[in-house]
Amino acid sequence: MSAGLPTNPFAEAVRAERVAEATSADAVDGILPEWVVAPESADEVAATLGVARRRGLSVVSRGLGRHMTLGNPPRRVDVILSLERMNRILAYEPADMTVRVEAGCSLRALAATLSEGHQWLPLDPPHAEETTVGGVLATNLSGPLRASQGTARDLLIGIRTVGPDGTIVSGGGKVVKNVAGYDLPKMHIGALGTLGVILDATFKVRPRPQDEGALEITCESETQAAHLCLQLRDASEPLWLQITNDADSPKDWRVLAGAGGRREDVTTALERYRQLSEAIGARARPVPNAPRIRQQIADASAHGEDIVLRAATLPTRIGDVLTDILRETDRIGTVPRLHADPICGVLRVGLDANASEHLAAWVTGLRPKLEREGGSLVVERASAAQKKRLLEAGDVWGEPGPALSLMRGLKEAFDPSTLFAPGRFVGGL
Amino acid sequence: MLAPGFSQRLRRLVGDEGVVDRPESLLVYECDGYTLERSAPEMVVLPRTPAEVAQVIRALWEEGVPFVPRGAGTGLSGGTLPVETPVMVCTSRLQEIESIDLANRRVVAQAGVVNLWVSRAVSDAGLLFAPDPSSQTACTIGGNVAENSGGPHTLKYGVTTNHVLGVELVLPTGEVVTLGGPVEERSGYDLTGLVVGSEGTFGLVTRATLRLVRAPEAYRTFLAVFDSVSDASEAVSGIIAAGIVPAALEMLDGLILRAVEDAFHAGFPVDAGAVLLIELDGPAAGLDSQSEEVTTFCKKQGAVDVRTAADDAQRALLWKARKRAFGAVGRLAPNYCTQDGVVPRTQVPEILRRISATAEKHQLRIGNVFHAGDGNIHPIILFDERNADEVKRVLAAGEEILEACIALGGSVTGEHGIGVEKIAQMPQLFSPEDLHAMTTLRSVFDPERRANPHKLLPDSKVCVEARAPRRQAAM
Repeated sequence: MSAGLPTNPFAEAVRAERVAEATSADAVDGILPEWVVAPESADEVAATLGVARRRGLSVVSRGLGRHMTLGNPPRRVDVILSLERMNRILAYEPADMTVRVEAGCSLRALAATLSEGHQWLPLDPPHAEETTVGGVLATNLSGPLRASQGTARDLLIGIRTVGPDGTIVSGGGKVVKNVAGYDLPKMHIGALGTLGVILDATFKVRPRPQDEGALEITCESETQAAHLCLQLRDASEPLWLQITNDADSPKDWRVLAGAGGRREDVTTALERYRQLSEAIGARARPVPNAPRIRQQIADASAHGEDIVLRAATLPTRIGDVLTDILRETDRIGTVPRLHADPICGVLRVGLDANASEHLAAWVTGLRPKLEREGGSLVVERASAAQKKRLLEAGDVWGEPGPALSLMRGLKEAFDPSTLFAPGRFVGGL
Repeated sequence: MLAPGFSQRLRRLVGDEGVVDRPESLLVYECDGYTLERSAPEMVVLPRTPAEVAQVIRALWEEGVPFVPRGAGTGLSGGTLPVETPVMVCTSRLQEIESIDLANRRVVAQAGVVNLWVSRAVSDAGLLFAPDPSSQTACTIGGNVAENSGGPHTLKYGVTTNHVLGVELVLPTGEVVTLGGPVEERSGYDLTGLVVGSEGTFGLVTRATLRLVRAPEAYRTFLAVFDSVSDASEAVSGIIAAGIVPAALEMLDGLILRAVEDAFHAGFPVDAGAVLLIELDGPAAGLDSQSEEVTTFCKKQGAVDVRTAADDAQRALLWKARKRAFGAVGRLAPNYCTQDGVVPRTQVPEILRRISATAEKHQLRIGNVFHAGDGNIHPIILFDERNADEVKRVLAAGEEILEACIALGGSVTGEHGIGVEKIAQMPQLFSPEDLHAMTTLRSVFDPERRANPHKLLPDSKVCVEARAPRRQAAM
């Protein structure tokens, strides 16, 4: 603790048992905060921010803490604002197909409630079970379902946030179609909590497909897999589509193609995928329990690796980008684990620790080409030391591009004293 | 008044034919589809290219002149009404579809490209641009981006913001920024998402990168005929509650049906209380069983008849009639105005009861033709502007309906925008803190309020004078 701070400065904001001194488990990129505060209401969040502001402390919001490795190392962190106690489902209206839920509610708990109405919020980031609603919004992480269901921006219809001065602001509403005023909810998606603390969110939800099925298709090369995927996309809109390699046998590629809908839709789609696969000489076999495989794929894309990167490109460039990645990883003598969504043009690369000393060189090798074509390469997970080395070559986000000055304007307008996560976001914001 | 010589400067930039300043030529620019208020700009500038737009806006910035943007002028909330904006910058000459990338399902279109042109340009490849406002044969991509336009099929496919991946924005200083682009994922704040729906108050969008979707493999289009609006609206709630998401789910009440049938002879039952126009789409395999479910469901909810469009021609005719329904209303009364409120889907029956009570209370005729599946109502209030007392009642009824939407947990606009029309309702919908946050956001893009000032957000300078409509064009 730094000198001059009294014991528990947050006594006026939250009950004593909601404040804890931080431990090493609370460190963000190796930076140890002083306090972990877990408010239970919007007013308590506002009061906590009030204390932090008056004392010049910086605040990083946290849900269940599963995705804290995203972002640049913050310039400082004094307080972890934990939303885990704000985890209620405030209103679920199955017939309206909307749900309003507090930021600290896990996607798992939300899914359980929605399943009672045969509905879902089709956001499936890696480790969805340990991801909160606030977390999936702040990180904008996505998984296989993105291919057909979109991302948070396609589902979020309302939000309530607290600004650095404790002001509670609502944007959007609870109806599925609404153009009254600016789209404030979008401001906080992917913003990593740098513009305010998300209190609760309202989503439109969708009926869960009555049936799901999936095929596993074995391909000879990443190029063949990518080519086949575009054919599958055009033949019948898949529910999800992933290309993955086999870490033990890096030359083996699999395409996993998921279909959803009525039973007859699923049967028809899978039959088409099978025919298209066999037409190019690839073997296709049905996999049991498609929903489970889908979530496993999402988790595997960011599982057990020391380093996870996310590349984005045009769908037609996925095959070439996979080839580029393999060439770069070959050079450093490691085998990446690859999970690509050829419909959205997004892929994750998992690297193990022995690649870490090459990370900076690796990123500098790949990133410019992706960025030249309008894409990006983001480090989703790396150790503090790896990130530090990386900073010499850029940062975890890459080149923010010409919009940086507007982004800076946004940050300065909504967080003028840089209370929230200083330096953690794009362009050092 | 604009400085002498300023028009010459603009003429040098955009050519003589690109500057309109003769009073008689300015008349067409004095309102958009919201005709209750009119005010002609002093000058309309029509740049030919995105680069010329930037030059024009730079010149306006240097001259200290605020501007109002305009596409095709089909907006319904007065978003392009000049309010203390002497110059109107019109994007109607920016008509180029700059690139079509079928494999990646992307199109880059300039702001003046008409909505339907995009889908036409890619239809041979089995793709389309999903947002389909009723004005899609005239309205422009720039206008769609500004208003975050919807349309009947947004029930399943989402509104404009779900299909715009990037924009080129000319800031009020004339500086050009590219936000987003053809690749879905990029680092940073979702500025594209903020610009879409900002009603031209952040600057002027000159081109947009659009996402295309695959045209559905097959359609089933039905007309479910009901004796009463109330039966039909209960069916709407029932269909949605049953987990069926049609591509479109539209309601037309008896008053509108008869006007539309007179105009288009699409085969609407003129003696019905209401019909639902329901469209299912998707893979052919599952459509038959879904159709059966919907048909059974409608009948259970009291439909006296469920008719299926026999072929593409019949489907096209039904949709043409639906999308031009507003036009057909001109047969019913000299004037009309419409609202664009939204309620939670389960409240559709309730809001229709309240609309009907409002009509009775104010002795007005109100028709309903709307996006029932989204809860997005469009009550059409008929009147004669020569009857001053009736006009007063029309305004009171409109306000009551919007207040009812808010009371039922809804919004005052689902797709038409706030513009000047609904500024007065913003403080009912949002707290002072919410509105302050919006003002702050606006100032990030346009601190001097040069781009479309006095729209969307209430400000002290202009109290909406829409309370006393002066006149309205015959429609």
